[in-house]
Amino acid sequence: MEIVTSPNFWTAMLVLGVVLLVGVSFKTKALLNNVYVAVTISLLIAVAYFHLVDHYLMDMQGLDYWYLFRK
Amino acid sequence: MGGLTPNKMLSILALGAMVGLLLLPIVVSMPALAGGGGTPAAGGPPPDVAKKADTPEAAKVEKARDVYYKTEGIVTGAPAPKTADNPQFYPRYNFESRVLLWIANQQHLYYGSFVLAVPIFCMIIEFMGIVSKDKAMAKKYDQLAYDFIKISLTAYSLTAILGGILIFTFLTLYPAFFGYLSSIFRPVMHIYALLFVAESGTIYIYYYGWDRMKEGLLKWIHVSMSVVLNVIGTTLMFLANSWIGFMMSPAGVDEQGRFLGNIWHSIHTALWNPLNVHRLLGNMAFGGGVVAAYAAYRFLASKTDEERAHYDWMGYIAMAIGVAFLIPLPFAGYWLMREVYAYRQQMGITLMGGLLAWLFIIQATMIGILFLSSNYYLWQAMGRMRGAEKYQRYIKYMVFVLVCGFLIFITPHTIVMTPAELKAMGGQQHPVLGNYGVMSAKNGGINVIITTTVLSFIWYQRGNKVPMVSWAKFGNIFMGCFFALAYVNIIWLAIYGYYIPANVRVGLSVPQVATTLSCLFFMTALNLVMLKGAKQSGAIEWGKISVRSQYALIMLATAFTWMMGLMGYIRSSVRLFWHVNEIMRDNSPWAYTHTTGFAANMISFNVLFFWLTILFVFFLATLGVKKAPAEAKVSVPGRVPEPATGH
Repeated sequence: MEIVTSPNFWTAMLVLGVVLLVGVSFKTKALLNNVYVAVTISLLIAVAYFHLVDHYLMDMQGLDYWYLFRK
Repeated sequence: MGGLTPNKMLSILALGAMVGLLLLPIVVSMPALAGGGGTPAAGGPPPDVAKKADTPEAAKVEKARDVYYKTEGIVTGAPAPKTADNPQFYPRYNFESRVLLWIANQQHLYYGSFVLAVPIFCMIIEFMGIVSKDKAMAKKYDQLAYDFIKISLTAYSLTAILGGILIFTFLTLYPAFFGYLSSIFRPVMHIYALLFVAESGTIYIYYYGWDRMKEGLLKWIHVSMSVVLNVIGTTLMFLANSWIGFMMSPAGVDEQGRFLGNIWHSIHTALWNPLNVHRLLGNMAFGGGVVAAYAAYRFLASKTDEERAHYDWMGYIAMAIGVAFLIPLPFAGYWLMREVYAYRQQMGITLMGGLLAWLFIIQATMIGILFLSSNYYLWQAMGRMRGAEKYQRYIKYMVFVLVCGFLIFITPHTIVMTPAELKAMGGQQHPVLGNYGVMSAKNGGINVIITTTVLSFIWYQRGNKVPMVSWAKFGNIFMGCFFALAYVNIIWLAIYGYYIPANVRVGLSVPQVATTLSCLFFMTALNLVMLKGAKQSGAIEWGKISVRSQYALIMLATAFTWMMGLMGYIRSSVRLFWHVNEIMRDNSPWAYTHTTGFAANMISFNVLFFWLTILFVFFLATLGVKKAPAEAKVSVPGRVPEPATGH
């Protein structure tokens, strides 16, 4: 649980998603347009992005987004 | 560029004169501002206070503490008058003075909002025309901007007349209050009057110089005039906002209401900035709605396909501008409410959890109607594009999502009931529906509605286009995933709010809003990149749109008007029995809060009155069409005009 509530974890996920996207698009466009690859990369980026939005925007208000998970 | 022709010289002189006029009020007011505004004007009604100035004690320098900024300042003004219920303070006819003032104020505000918003549209559209590479489109944009300013010009005269009526109403019915307010804002009121003169001069030169300044450098000078015009207009609005901000959250005065010499403190009150942002966005959305209604009216009255095509396009542009400002409006509203709570918690509770809470349920209903109408118009508008049929089958799901969000958004927390009903329901809150009447759920509801509107707009943009970029499939999948997860995040945060304490829950609205805005900015940008070099499956057939869509535009404009009236009433009523909150008490016989029913009837009357008069303005604008120079009219190329670039 501690790993999941860490913003570093989600930042790493976001970076991983972007690296995969760049890597795949350099290799071949056909692979990028593959449904499974596209869904995996998209989900990775979007899930990580929204978690970071939730975490940091609560943190900026001095609030803990992970309140329930830490209890 | 060529030499300086007399025309260019005159144009540059006109622009210089406008800038000079703009700066004139500041130069004139320099001594007054430097001196802290000087002593308040005589003529304020409190005779007991006026005497004080002659006494030797008054000659001494007296210091007092600012009620808001808590800084010390030299007392330079008289205390707020202590009024009583008699004709000296409240002269009256055999009618409720507050209702008369309400009508005068609301009508002036409607027209003021309209004439401040429309020149901003003109500036944007005229600029789009200048930078457009397509000459036909450039002419169309120019003609559209000209059409807009023409409507605005007639409305401008009415705004000035209504402003005069408003001042006379204040002077005759509320002299004590108006005397006090003008004693505080005397230097600013002069600036306001001078800016009004500057705005009048600018708008007339801008309008009548249109044909003479249509090319080259002259055109740039002309568009610069619109920038000056809008700077003046916005400054005017900010100044007027400072007065209502002072009435709600006074500053720059001590506890007795005595002015402490710093006019900036009285202007820059706790609620001034949120009011400025909220009103600016609101005016733009309202102006867009009114112009869209005008276009719808002209569309419905059109006799030729060419006219229908032109007014269909005009309605679309106005609606798009209106909705673009409608989307951030709820967030500006949240900011305003947050500042109200920060300023006085009790004021916030009166608004959203107490006496005026039911008006917020009506407001939620109106906001829902606005978004439902906008979506309906966009879906109908897809009918004029070949290739947009592919989205039709998904519309029913969007309706479902919108209706779910809408129903949650309008669910009240508690309901007014008889004891028997209360007993039958088992408490003040409904066992099931009561769960939805809290902010956590409501925030989720409105964000779902806005996100769906963004999605509708993106689908409309793609209606007749097929992305041809090599990564199109990935782009579509990414967009789908991003929207799906945005919905999941918004709903998750809404549910999560039920399981955490109130002080943590209150912060969840920020990531919810950020999620919606992420969809708006990132997905619109991604969509535009994907549509570069897209294959068109058919042209947009302007004019080939259902009549129902035009009624949706009229509905949109009416809902905007009604909501503006409602929110104005709520904002004003929250002061309860104060003219100036906690400083000057309202002792008139009408210092009570009206019933919701009476308020709704009054708002409806104001809306009806505004629409009847604006119809007259529209009628006058149609008379002007016949007199327009032949070259100013741009023909629409056939029944199927060229689509607007990047619509």
